[in-house]
Amino acid sequence: MNNELALLNNYLVVGAVLFGIGAIGFLSRRNMIVMFLAAEMMLQGISVSLVAWSRYHNDFGGQMFVVFIITVAACEAAIALALILMLFRASGSLDIAVWHHLREANQPAYVDEEIPEPPPGDTAAWPRLVPAGIEPEIDREDTDHRPHV
Amino acid sequence: MNQSLQTIVPAVLLGALGMWLLLPRPSLRGRMAGGAAAAAALGLIASRLPMIGGMTVQGLFYVIAGVTIVSAAAAVSLRNPVYCAVWFAMTLLGTAGLFLLQGAQFLAVATVVVYAGAILVTFLFVLMLAEPSGRAVYDRLSWEGLLSAVAGVVLIGILTASIGSMMAEEAAAPRSLAPSEAELAAGVLNERHVAALGREMFGPHLIAVQVGGVLLLAALIGAAAIVAGGRPTQPSSSPPASNMKEPSANRTRPITPE
Amino acid sequence: MQNSIPWLLVLIPGLPLAGAAVAAALGPRVLRGKSHLPVVAGIAGAFAASVILLFAVRSGLPAASENGQGPSHETIGYERVVTLWTWAAVADAYDHEAAGGETNARDFRIDVTLRADPLTAIMLAMVTFISLLVAVYSIGYMHDDRGYWRFFSFIGLFVFSMSMLVSVSNFVLLYVFWEAVGLCSYLLIGFWYEKPEAAAAGKKAFLVNRIGDFGFALGLFLIWTTYGTLNFHDTIAADGSVVAGLFGAERLAAGPAGYVGGGVATAICLLLMLGACGKSAQFPLHVWLPDAMEGPTPVSALIHAATMVTAGVYMVARCTPLFQASVDAQMTVAVIGGFTALMAALVALTQTDLKRILAYSTISQLGYMFLGLGVGTVLGITAGMFHLFTHAFFKALLFLGAGSVMHAMGGVIDIRRFGGLKRIMPVTHWTFFVGCLTLSGVLPLSGFFSKDLILAAVEEQEGTLYRWLYLVAVFTALLTAFYTFRAFFCTFYGPEEIPSEAGHHAHESPNAMTLPLVVLAVCSAVVGVYFELTHGFAEFLGQTPSIAYLSRHAHEHIHEGVHWKVMLTSEVVAAAGIGLAAVFYWPARRPVADATRKTAEALGFYPLSKQKFFFDEIYQMLFVWPLQGIAAASYWIDRNVIDRAVNFVGRMPPMLGAGLRPLQNGLVPFYAVGMVLGLLVLLAAVLMGWGWM
Repeated sequence: MNNELALLNNYLVVGAVLFGIGAIGFLSRRNMIVMFLAAEMMLQGISVSLVAWSRYHNDFGGQMFVVFIITVAACEAAIALALILMLFRASGSLDIAVWHHLREANQPAYVDEEIPEPPPGDTAAWPRLVPAGIEPEIDREDTDHRPHV
Repeated sequence: MNQSLQTIVPAVLLGALGMWLLLPRPSLRGRMAGGAAAAAALGLIASRLPMIGGMTVQGLFYVIAGVTIVSAAAAVSLRNPVYCAVWFAMTLLGTAGLFLLQGAQFLAVATVVVYAGAILVTFLFVLMLAEPSGRAVYDRLSWEGLLSAVAGVVLIGILTASIGSMMAEEAAAPRSLAPSEAELAAGVLNERHVAALGREMFGPHLIAVQVGGVLLLAALIGAAAIVAGGRPTQPSSSPPASNMKEPSANRTRPITPE
Repeated sequence: MQNSIPWLLVLIPGLPLAGAAVAAALGPRVLRGKSHLPVVAGIAGAFAASVILLFAVRSGLPAASENGQGPSHETIGYERVVTLWTWAAVADAYDHEAAGGETNARDFRIDVTLRADPLTAIMLAMVTFISLLVAVYSIGYMHDDRGYWRFFSFIGLFVFSMSMLVSVSNFVLLYVFWEAVGLCSYLLIGFWYEKPEAAAAGKKAFLVNRIGDFGFALGLFLIWTTYGTLNFHDTIAADGSVVAGLFGAERLAAGPAGYVGGGVATAICLLLMLGACGKSAQFPLHVWLPDAMEGPTPVSALIHAATMVTAGVYMVARCTPLFQASVDAQMTVAVIGGFTALMAALVALTQTDLKRILAYSTISQLGYMFLGLGVGTVLGITAGMFHLFTHAFFKALLFLGAGSVMHAMGGVIDIRRFGGLKRIMPVTHWTFFVGCLTLSGVLPLSGFFSKDLILAAVEEQEGTLYRWLYLVAVFTALLTAFYTFRAFFCTFYGPEEIPSEAGHHAHESPNAMTLPLVVLAVCSAVVGVYFELTHGFAEFLGQTPSIAYLSRHAHEHIHEGVHWKVMLTSEVVAAAGIGLAAVFYWPARRPVADATRKTAEALGFYPLSKQKFFFDEIYQMLFVWPLQGIAAASYWIDRNVIDRAVNFVGRMPPMLGAGLRPLQNGLVPFYAVGMVLGLLVLLAAVLMGWGWM
């Protein structure tokens, strides 16, 4: 097996593994943002394979494809994040399982199983947006009796 | 075929077990074992990979690919979405390294800049906007964890097995598709790589690039319209339609930006 | 004048139809109480056209018959045919096997064709005349009825159908309008459909007629397979050859050789006779006619006495050549006619409903007509048709008179509940008296001549059967005179008695009603004498192709002169009947009448007659109950076997669907898992196919 073929082989395997792990994440996670991350990861797996094929065939077509994948991923991210934001506003949750209104009539709604409370130390550390800038103090007199404009 | 199955079947079993244990579950026990199983599966697969170039290149590839895959596994299995995003950034960096190793310099940089720099940061912003209180139940649970782990790993196994067969076929009867050094130097591995890529992009693919630009514009307008149009014009109206029967626990919150 | 015949033939049915359409369209909203105007105008126009047609036909008759040599070979009788359009045409519909064994394909072709010949002209004139008088009468009788416009549009529709029935020149069209008059009859019997008896009577009439019509239809099929044509007249085929119609010049000129004889002829005739029995209320299908009296009285007079019920007689007369081919069928017709005449007269003896008495009398007189037709001689057939003609006048007169009585009595028609109406209703009394005399066959009224002709025809025919039938006919004449005058005396003589329903305004009917009575009375009295003196009727009718064929090929000995013996007998019998009725019912009617009833009861005859020979009960047992049983069983099977099976099949998909329903839980991750699993299977299959796995 020559070098180029070995390269292709290795990259394809890495691409397949990335794709598979992304699929696992998309299927199993319930946080919509994480699901979306997993979908992006599947795209990455495809991109790796495409670049490998591009090298093997000595053709820029594969790399061009990846350029467009990045473009489409950007568009997708914009739309998907907007949608996720709207869904979050409507339900107050990022849980995908909240949205099952299109189920068949008379089917019971999905209910979470009871799970034990997390251990005391297990808390989420969320980064917060710090307030950017502080409203300046404005002298009332200066605004009311402004001598000059 | 049989040889490949001898490694792939145990790899699939181990991988599925490991991924299942790694995925979020109410109980935290078994995660280390899961990590070990997944790593073993990874090692089994890696053991079948042929050598490329010298030891240096081979080692570099193993390191970069290992980082990529391990961070990918972490990105899908951690319970904190922020960590997920960060680990995904690591995956992206690893992918960029893989691109670089293939000589696709432009793509490596573009991935880092566009993906890690722009898209992922937007993710983090949205995560911060969402800002749930405490650890959410849905982050502590998987959806059909075992089933999806098995499905994904079997997918990997099928793909790996078929890649192996394909490569074995090609190695047994080479069709001399692989380019020579000189051809590569004139093509993909051109010294003036970005210029060559640019010629390709704005030559044969000019129209596609234009369409891609229009797509970006449409996505921009669409995202703005979704966020702006989703805002209720009258305070009394609520977006869930009347046939949505049971409001979720937090549904009563008014849909206004916080 | 000959050139106007096509126009007249179209106008006669067309005008009443147009009137009916106008009445139906504008009646409920615009015309309301004036709904009779378009219909009466249309019928009047049709009558005028019929009279013109009568003279046109008369002027066109071949003159050959006058010099005694008989008509020439080419023209047997007189007919004019007008083809309006082709209704249906099927090429090579039937391989007709000719007598010689050669087969040739025949086109099945129905042209909408009208014909003019003496028979049609007489029927048209009679129908439109009676219809006109009845329509005028109805203006007074149906006054203030809620369905005024409906009544008149039905009447217009009926006149259209009836005039088409007698003027079409094709068996299929004859069948169509045969059904159309049946439909009008059904609609008008059930005119007061809120009344359960009326609705039931309409249904009964319709269903009983179906039996006859079924036979008629079978007869038509048999005619088609036997003769390969259903047209009365000769037609020209596409290749220019002449297709001999059933009663066309070609076949008539060929004589008896042109008609199939033997069992087929008998079968055809008996099936046609079954249809005629249904329509003309002959035994065994006579049961619907008495019940049909639930309809308005003008309808009874027009449809169930004067016109529609004579359609059977018309049809048998039209098919004379077919009946000539089968002696058995002729005898059957005669026997059915004679038996029905006697049976109906016996039933009429004890009925107390004035209209029902008249209805049974109608059945009886129709029996006379069939008896005349069944004799099968020129004299018999013309006598039957003549009786049809005169009967239309006097029976319409009697019914309208009964309607006038009913109108004054507030709807009561039971002769036991009123009496002595002579003073209150003088016009009705005198006209009814004329009608009764005519029906009884008293000289010189028309009924005498026509009935006398039938008796003479029967008497003239050889054979033991006809000897007996003659005796039956004479006895029936006695009964006729008796029951007619029984009803007459009960109604108009004796102490004055008025039912409470009449209120205080029992009075003579308005002019619109009495005028037709007077006209009909005059006609009833006069037509017989007129035709007897001129011999016009028989001569005129004899020029009809079907009947001319008879006089040409039968070579019968035509008895010239007057049948003195028969005349005398019938006159004596009529006088005896009237006398008996006067004895029983005139001066102090009740005791004597009761005495007769007791005598009859002692003989066991009274209940038989009173209950109409138990025909309704017998039919109920023989047909209605078994059918009801079958229907109940079918209903049970339908509900419990078929419906259940169907419902079970219908429940299968929902059951299967209920099993699959939980899959549609609306959760995106669930769907994604399904998608990936499917993808795996597909991928594995494809890669295995490629040998890469």
